[in-house]
Amino acid sequence: MRILIVEDDLEAAEVMDRGLTEAGHQCVRASDGEAGLSAAQAGEFDVMIVDRMMPRMDGVSMVQALRREGDQTPVLFLSALGEINDRVEGLKAGGDDYLVKPYAFVELIARVEALSRRRETGSVQTLLRVGELEMDLIARTVHRQGKEIDLQPREFQLLEFMMRHAGQSVTRTMLLEKVWEYHFDPQTNVIDVHVSRLRSKIDKGFDRAMLQTVRGAGYRLDP
Amino acid sequence: MRLPRLFRTTPFRLTLLFLALFAAAASAFLAYIYLATAGEATRRTDQNITREMRSLVAAYDRAGVDAVNQSLIERAASERPFLYLLMKPDGSRISGSIAETPIEDAGAAVGVSTRASFSVTDDDGQGRLVKHPARGIQERLSGGEILFVGADISEDQAYVVKITRALWGAGALVVVLGLAGGLLVSRNVSRSMGALNDVVAAVRNGDFDARAAVRGARDEFDELSEGINEMLDRLQRSMAGHRHAGDAIAHDLRSPLTRLRARLETAYLDVEAGKGDAEEALAQALDDTDGVLKTFSAVLAIARLQAAGQAPDQALFDPAELAADLAELYEPTCEDKGLEFGAEFAKNLQVRGNREFLAQALANLLDNAVKYTPSGGAIMLRVRRRSSGEIEFSVTDTGPGVPDEDRARVVERFVRLENSRSEPGSGLGLSLVAAVAEAHGGRLELSEGPGKVGEMGPGLRVALILPRAA
Repeated sequence: MRILIVEDDLEAAEVMDRGLTEAGHQCVRASDGEAGLSAAQAGEFDVMIVDRMMPRMDGVSMVQALRREGDQTPVLFLSALGEINDRVEGLKAGGDDYLVKPYAFVELIARVEALSRRRETGSVQTLLRVGELEMDLIARTVHRQGKEIDLQPREFQLLEFMMRHAGQSVTRTMLLEKVWEYHFDPQTNVIDVHVSRLRSKIDKGFDRAMLQTVRGAGYRLDP
Repeated sequence: MRLPRLFRTTPFRLTLLFLALFAAAASAFLAYIYLATAGEATRRTDQNITREMRSLVAAYDRAGVDAVNQSLIERAASERPFLYLLMKPDGSRISGSIAETPIEDAGAAVGVSTRASFSVTDDDGQGRLVKHPARGIQERLSGGEILFVGADISEDQAYVVKITRALWGAGALVVVLGLAGGLLVSRNVSRSMGALNDVVAAVRNGDFDARAAVRGARDEFDELSEGINEMLDRLQRSMAGHRHAGDAIAHDLRSPLTRLRARLETAYLDVEAGKGDAEEALAQALDDTDGVLKTFSAVLAIARLQAAGQAPDQALFDPAELAADLAELYEPTCEDKGLEFGAEFAKNLQVRGNREFLAQALANLLDNAVKYTPSGGAIMLRVRRRSSGEIEFSVTDTGPGVPDEDRARVVERFVRLENSRSEPGSGLGLSLVAAVAEAHGGRLELSEGPGKVGEMGPGLRVALILPRAA
């Protein structure tokens, strides 16, 4: 995946670059909004990581300029501003996701990979398929190896999100944000309990576990 | 030249404007009165001389010129206020009280009367000649003789002049009184304004304790004073909040950072001496850093809510829906821990608030309940409307509870009771809930749970109470 990193904190950019490169991505760096804008205009990227507060041109203005030109590359905003308003403003400006600094690197990489996937699902899908798992989004049914699995509405949403990001790590925060739409950090393991319930429904009685726990990061649904 | 301060005040200027308008209106009024009274006097005189003329003409028609002549002489001698002149057809005087007619109409036809204003010359009793205004009527009699009847109207005129003078006097009095009243009102108003200005100046110079005096008159100055005072109160609270927030963040982060630094230092020394495990030390440091970050976020959220005074982006929503959402999120966790989870939500309620903050507050309450209630216990989430109209979210557990004397204290930041120190947590959960409650104009109430049952209890009931949605 080609990733554009627009970040004025050079050390932070360096760390991101190294981590993402190790994960098998190609990174291009820009250190302010103007440089970021020209880099984005010059090259094709799968995802852009854009810091919100930068000299010369802030991240929001840069993304707005790109969106006006019709560039639809997914954007992950990084920001030290974590208030709900800031988040909403960032998403309104054309950002696709919002990560508050400081963040864990696993969180960053999980979100970046989730964004790249988003782009491919342009057409409206009514059927999701991951390995033996099949989800009918219209009939709201799930089958594994042809056997119907009965899910609660929230479990269905949870599985849908995991299927859309199959093969990628998704963090607990991502699940709480994308499935429950909350942006706080519960002190108890509420998300883990929901995932383990889902796991017992889709994996129990089958020879292979599809829903994996990724140590230190979160979960992954393998085909 | 600068006018004295009082003359530059708005009320005084308004007074002047009002007086100018009043003077214009009074002038129009005076003009009308003058025209009405003066015209009336002339009209009445005309009527009188016409009547006199008619009676003389009737005498002439009945008894001829001699009778009229006789009558004229008699009438002129009497106290009648008329001037008479009887002339031959050629205009020469036959008899009368004046020497010649002031009206030239030698060619006038019989029965046609001509009216005119003129003046008669008289002496004022001291030998000086004075001219009096007069009105007259003249007619050619059927025998060709000319008869003139006139009347002095100086008395009527004097009456009009008197009225006019009285009106002018009244006008002048009004202007003087108005000016005086205006000055009085201006002084009063500018004194009130001056007091407000003093407050503003004091605040501008940094004295945020200055407050405007409220006189209790319940007028707009009191209203303005109250408004300014309220604004200053709020500003002061907000500033104190910000200052407090800064202090709090510095204070609250110092201890966990000190701890983190100490751990890193120990680990470093251990690894250097070949005793410790570097990987483990790093993992521990990472965990500690996450802890610091969580604390930081919580402190920042609390400080911001306290500084803002009011939660941002408030909207109307159904509290039961929010509670149901959180119940759904926490129920499996309770079940996993062997806790019975109950929910009771009143229907058709409305609450105004920031959904995200309230969700976080409820999540904190549920987190606490899950953490402190031992397996086999129960947790109850309720939403109801109090008889006062307030909306109450409450979480009741059957855990050990909080002793009466500690209830106020646990809401404070970083206060963790002795027996809870083994549980993970920052000690900020309840403080954040309290801050959220306050930012919605609500409050937090802690009370005893369902009581002691065997090993369980007495439990804790935490209620987040929000004002009724207006």
